This record gives sequence, structure tokens and C-alpha cells, in this order.
Amino acid sequence: MGLVRRKAEPEQQPQAVSSDDLMRQLDDPDPEVRRVAALGLDGVAEAVDALLDRVAAEDAPTVRDAMLTTLAAHDTDRVAAGLAVHLASDDAELRTAAAEALSSMPISVPALVPRLLEDPDHDVRVMTAMVLADLPHPESLTWLAVMIKDDPHPNVVASAIDALLPSLGPEHTELLERAVRRFPDDPFLRFTVEAALR
Amino acid sequence: MTQTQRKALVVDDAATVRMYHTTLLGDAGFEVQEAANGLEAVEAALATGFDLFVVDVNMPKMNGYTCVETLRSETVGTPAPVVMISTEDRPGDADRAYAAGANLYLVKPVAPERLVRIARLLTSGPGVAA
Repeated sequence: MGLVRRKAEPEQQPQAVSSDDLMRQLDDPDPEVRRVAALGLDGVAEAVDALLDRVAAEDAPTVRDAMLTTLAAHDTDRVAAGLAVHLASDDAELRTAAAEALSSMPISVPALVPRLLEDPDHDVRVMTAMVLADLPHPESLTWLAVMIKDDPHPNVVASAIDALLPSLGPEHTELLERAVRRFPDDPFLRFTVEAALR
Repeated sequence: MTQTQRKALVVDDAATVRMYHTTLLGDAGFEVQEAANGLEAVEAALATGFDLFVVDVNMPKMNGYTCVETLRSETVGTPAPVVMISTEDRPGDADRAYAAGANLYLVKPVAPERLVRIARLLTSGPGVAA
């Protein structure tokens, strides 16, 4: 008997889930379903508002991280503005996670920086220094230098110095020494500058 | 009788802050280790007994509040005093720190002599480090 070619069985393909289904799953009681849905919405522009609406209220850190990863990948003005508001959050986990996400958005965040540098809340400006520390953008160091030179709050200046630390060069010496002169009674700032210049 | 050297863990993602607090506590006679985030702090606390923790709030990987909660949880279970130091002076920050298990919440900048005085006061008992 000759060989009979059996009909190839169709491969088991995972069932495609629509974007609408994924957005509905963002409200599923199971955090793992929400996490997978958030990651599955990568690249889905229509999901941005749904994710932004939920990121602050999400209490499972893994789901929140997934939402922020998906949002940051969009790197649009809408996402940047939606995440920047969380730099002022009372939730330490949220404001730190938002800062981390923003620091991976070099296309949209630069347009926000001038406003963030002028934010009346010095805690927001401290978080901005955290964002700029890791933002891969050619102007990041310039903005940090502006913070060191002009910001009226010593904690912001110290945070900006810390952020600038890996890139410090002799060209920054005068900038740092001037910062110490602006806050002569701040021992931490003096220590920071002395350590930076060492 | 010579007093055993107290061990402190300084936890902060900012290298300059770690250096500053390490220098202050080291000059005051503490043996100091450093951790750059809450996760590193928990790992260090599982490996070594500390008499004092100085912990920042905003840190990547694990923030200060979660770090302190973990230090106080059964996972680590340290009774050692925890001082949280942050740039944040929002309403509720101190309450959040105390709810997590901190003994004291201070807002930066903290005068050097104040930090040393507090560290000595909080570790003036028999000590808990292994």
C-alpha cells in the first residue's frame, strides 16, 4: 500500500482577541487578565485614553507596569501629558512609575519640559530631574544645567546635580560652585557639589 | 566594656544622597552599607542584621514605603528603627511612612547634626544586628 498523505491538521492558532475585547478586559477582576490585556494593547491608539483613565486607579503593580509600558511605547503628546500629571501624585509608587515611563519617551516629553521646569510644586520639579536623568535626548543635560542654575529650591538643585553626575565635566565646575553660593546654608548641597567635583 | 559598632543601611537611588548619609553616619561611628532601591535593601536586610535603616521614598524597582512594609513583614521581620527621609512634604506623606512601619519621617534637607543625633537616639538600646 502506498503512502497516503494525510491532510495536514490545521495548527492550533491562539484566537485573535479584538482591541475592543482587550479594552473590556482592562476591567476584569483578575489582575493577570488585565496585565495581558494591557500588554496586548501595544500600538493600539484607540486604547490610550482607556489606559490613561485606569493607570492611577490600578492597584496591582504588575498591571500598572504593563499599562505604563504600553502607554510609553506610544510616546505621543497625549500620553506624555496624561502621565505627567502623575508626577504630582500622592502615591509614591505611581509618581515614580510615571517618571520612569516618561524618561523612556524622548519624542513627546521634550515639549513638556519647559512647563515642568516652571511647575510651582518643587516636588514635581524634583521628579522632573528624575525624568531628565534617563531621558535619551540631546537637550537633557542642558535642562538639568538650567535647573541647577536657576531653580529656587535646593532639593531640586540637588536632584538635578545627582542626575547630571554621570555626565559631569570640568565645564560644569562654575555651575556647581555657583549653586553652593546660592544656598550657602544647605550642607547637603555643599556636600553634593564637593563630591561631584572630586 | 566596648560597645559593638552599630550597623546602618542607607537606602536611596541618588548616589550623592547615599554618599552624604553614609559619610555622616560613618563619621558618627556607624558601620554603613548602601542600597540603591528598596529591593536591594530587602536583599541586604535578609543577609545582614542592621540596627538602623535610613530610607528614601521615591526609588525605582521598590519605593520606600513598600520597602519599609517589607522590612516589617514576616519576610524580613526586622524590629530595627527606620528613618524615612524624602524631598516630599505633601500632606499624608508622614502618615503613609508611619503606617508602613517607619519610626520617623524627615523632609530633606536634614541638618547633619540632627540626623546623627536621631540615629544615636534610635540605636541607643541593646541593638538588634546579628
